[in-house]
Amino acid sequence: MVNFSKVCRPLRKSRTLIETVRHRSEAATVEAICPHLEQFENAKPYSEIPGPKALPIIGNTWRLMPLIGQYDISDVAKLSQLFHEEYGKMCKLSGLVGRPDLLFVYDADEIEKIYRQEGPTPFRPSMPCLVKYKSQVRKKFFGDLPGVVGVHGEPWRLFRTRVQKPVLQIQTVKKYIEPIETVTNDFIYRMLEMKDENNEMPADFDNEIHKWALECIGRVSLDTRLGCLEKNLPADSEPQKIIDAAKYALRNVAILELKFPFWRYFPTTIWKNYVKNMDYFIEICMKHIDAAMERLKTKNVENEKDLSLVERILANEKDPKMAYILALDLILVGIDTISMAVCSILYQLAIRPEQQQKMYAELKTVMPDPNEPIDSKKLDQLVFLKAFVKEVFRRYSTVIGNGRTLQHDTVIQGYQVPQGTQVVFPTLVTGSMEEYVTNPKEFLPERWLKSDIDNKIHPFASLPYGYGARMCLGRRFADLEIQVLLAKLIRSYQLEYHYVPLEYKVTFMYAPEGKLKFKMTKRKE
Amino acid sequence: MLNRLLLFVNISSPRNLNRINNFKDLNLVRQIFTSITLNHGEYEWQDPKSVDEVVNVTVVLKDGSKQQIKGKVGDNLLYLAHRYEIPMEGACEASLACTTCHVYVNTVHTLPEADEKEEDLLDMAPFLKENSRLGCQIILSKELEGLEVELPKATRNFYVDGHTPKPH
Repeated sequence: MVNFSKVCRPLRKSRTLIETVRHRSEAATVEAICPHLEQFENAKPYSEIPGPKALPIIGNTWRLMPLIGQYDISDVAKLSQLFHEEYGKMCKLSGLVGRPDLLFVYDADEIEKIYRQEGPTPFRPSMPCLVKYKSQVRKKFFGDLPGVVGVHGEPWRLFRTRVQKPVLQIQTVKKYIEPIETVTNDFIYRMLEMKDENNEMPADFDNEIHKWALECIGRVSLDTRLGCLEKNLPADSEPQKIIDAAKYALRNVAILELKFPFWRYFPTTIWKNYVKNMDYFIEICMKHIDAAMERLKTKNVENEKDLSLVERILANEKDPKMAYILALDLILVGIDTISMAVCSILYQLAIRPEQQQKMYAELKTVMPDPNEPIDSKKLDQLVFLKAFVKEVFRRYSTVIGNGRTLQHDTVIQGYQVPQGTQVVFPTLVTGSMEEYVTNPKEFLPERWLKSDIDNKIHPFASLPYGYGARMCLGRRFADLEIQVLLAKLIRSYQLEYHYVPLEYKVTFMYAPEGKLKFKMTKRKE
Repeated sequence: MLNRLLLFVNISSPRNLNRINNFKDLNLVRQIFTSITLNHGEYEWQDPKSVDEVVNVTVVLKDGSKQQIKGKVGDNLLYLAHRYEIPMEGACEASLACTTCHVYVNTVHTLPEADEKEEDLLDMAPFLKENSRLGCQIILSKELEGLEVELPKATRNFYVDGHTPKPH
């Protein structure tokens, strides 16, 4: 059912309290947003939720197997779309061997309800490899507070409470505009070095974007320049070893978890490799955090403003382990997510010259001198740039979905759903559903601007970073890195793409697959 | 070393800046700074040092009844509400990730404009009105004397079984 009265207008530029008319108001009744008031007993039974039928004993796992199954698991994005087309607003995938049922929910109102009732410690299932590494392989090191990724309940809450202010609050994040700009300037310099005689990027340009993301997150979480953007790195140099470790500890996780989960039962070669590379990451984190600790001891600190994120954590915690583990978590989830998103955003910009021109016009107004440093005031004014990024996330969400393990029995779509069920919110699908978004197939950054009153978006339809107490911890840094890169790059260079259109695929994230041979031309002032 | 490290305060936030200015006047900088770093709601548990600091706020509860609370300059409304056991939730602890501290500002006080991140979240709040704000972004100042805020009918995360959040 379409409920446009619940739909709203995000991203207003400036507004006084009295003048604004909000589009979404009291349409929601207490019952509609307060699910436990609905009668669980009166709802239809769980077993009647539509979904592919499970076979006796082997269940539904076979459907995901290569060759014999009908779905290729590596294409979870398509799978999620197919489920929606076949089964409607909700689809249950049960009978998966060794794991709980997956419940795909394609109803933004229901997603809103589930997010709203999640309580103080939402359970977000993620990365079984990492869970095993933290809770078994290196149990001693991680101890009682093993971080935020793959951790749940009280240990999660305790850790998050102690780190989330410096990582999410705007005033700390602001301090990183300048350092991120410095890293980004080096990256653009590297791009200029790399371009060939046709001014095009090499075929493996995505690798360079990964290195930029790694360099950024190193600067934030380890307080150091790792040096990954240097050219011709020797194989045994620290930056090159970190780059390689990132490959095995991150990109290979997809293979490890989706294709060959045998590591659950015995240590396969690829699993051993994973452990080895994770160990290396811990070693790197400890080395740089210890160095930061030493610097802090001799630093004359008068004001918390002088402290970096790492230093703030170190100053407030007796045990530097908190900082080691936070750095590890930030690195693990902060490289590929951001770099794949950047691949996707740059590709969309390159194939949409008109919108790129619009972004450039805005940048030219906000930054008349391209060499003048960026500050938070300038970033605030880049309204179209941010809308463009939001639109890429809506239409081609890098993260195909989010999920929660239900903490108590819930009614969803009139069905009883028992506690412990894994609910999946496929933001990639819901962000493009006609019920929630006007002209969903059209790529229209303007829909996110205040001036556009014709295009509606349900606020829970496209949630690339999730919502609530468990919202993406690195969100502000991700936004900042992306904004700074786009501002610096598009202000001075034009980006084009002249090859066969690329297809979007899920490898680890949802991103265009193939050679990102962008043409980069200096703009005339 | 740790003791020495406790001697700083983040002046980028107006709330802290306010505190510093107050403390400078009192010439008590060194002794008091140790408590200032406790910015997880502990500041709001300190009573106003003088009458000048007091900011009176009225909160309209879900049942329509009004509760008067006495805050001070620099207090964060969310943490102040916790001190007085007012059920304003604040699931993300003022890190701008949720809308569980959503309130309506009933009086005509001029609050600093909501920034884009707060606006984005407000769009996701249930029972949104034109005077909606997030409680965690309201820092008391002398100008806000007599402020009246109202809790929406529901903010959810409602704790199941009518559980009321406890102050830390």
